[in-house]
Amino acid sequence: MGLVARAIEAAGIPTVTLNMIWPVQRLIGMPRVAAIEHPFGRPYGDVGDVETQSNVLRAALEVATSATEPGGVVHLPFVWPEDPKETQWHPAEPSPIIAMIKKSRSS
Amino acid sequence: MSSSTSDSPQRLVDPWRFAGNFLRNVLSSQIPNEPNHEPIPWAPLRKPVSQSKVALVSTAGLSMKGDAPFDMELERKRPTRGDPSWRALRADATSETIEANHLHIDTGYILRDLNVALPLDRLREFAGAGEIGSVADTHYSIMGYQGNDSSELATVSAPQIAASMKNEEVDLALLAPV
Repeated sequence: MGLVARAIEAAGIPTVTLNMIWPVQRLIGMPRVAAIEHPFGRPYGDVGDVETQSNVLRAALEVATSATEPGGVVHLPFVWPEDPKETQWHPAEPSPIIAMIKKSRSS
Repeated sequence: MSSSTSDSPQRLVDPWRFAGNFLRNVLSSQIPNEPNHEPIPWAPLRKPVSQSKVALVSTAGLSMKGDAPFDMELERKRPTRGDPSWRALRADATSETIEANHLHIDTGYILRDLNVALPLDRLREFAGAGEIGSVADTHYSIMGYQGNDSSELATVSAPQIAASMKNEEVDLALLAPV
């Protein structure tokens, strides 16, 4: 994602990148980051939650105006309503790389 | 359920709130403590957002039904690699007209409401209300997991997406991982 943001920006189009794992900014260097504390798979908000989807979209668009220098991270104020323990985001079965790592650690 | 908003201006997003310890350990081991990247490109906003043509990008592995889906077999055979290609999505795409292929998340939410990851309905409402200038004709998806080799994404797919946006005279791109 960050690589795509960099390429778009390098072509002359400003970008804003929403990000849950915003510390990857140190690794990739994205022009404008809007950090969001939402679960994987639903960055803009829950199914049918028009209000949150609109508010996150609006907040991300505002970063396009407020950011003045490359590499900044704006922390958006949204708080997911569920406890992480109750928030289902994992796939039905572990991804191939996770399965491989777990297998190698257990053997 | 709706997200609430914190009124503390100092509050930082907890990047690991939903990750769990295992994924946190795997991912954080790859992130340096200090910035370690090439100089960051910068394109100033050329017009107010209210006059800008906006395009969205998602990493959810989205494709229009009828187009080739992202290749999950590649990753099942070689778990350290992910499909590096990209797909164009129509501005009228919905949960009914797209496929989502991504082995690292539950794609069920996207298949019930595309707006959770690619808020095209919201963007159209913003254009109608004058909050943005217009919605681009084309939006984009990659499949976010690239394993240990993101070179083809960087050298082929990303520049092609950028060129397509230039061709459609997009003023602002909004990207979101899943």
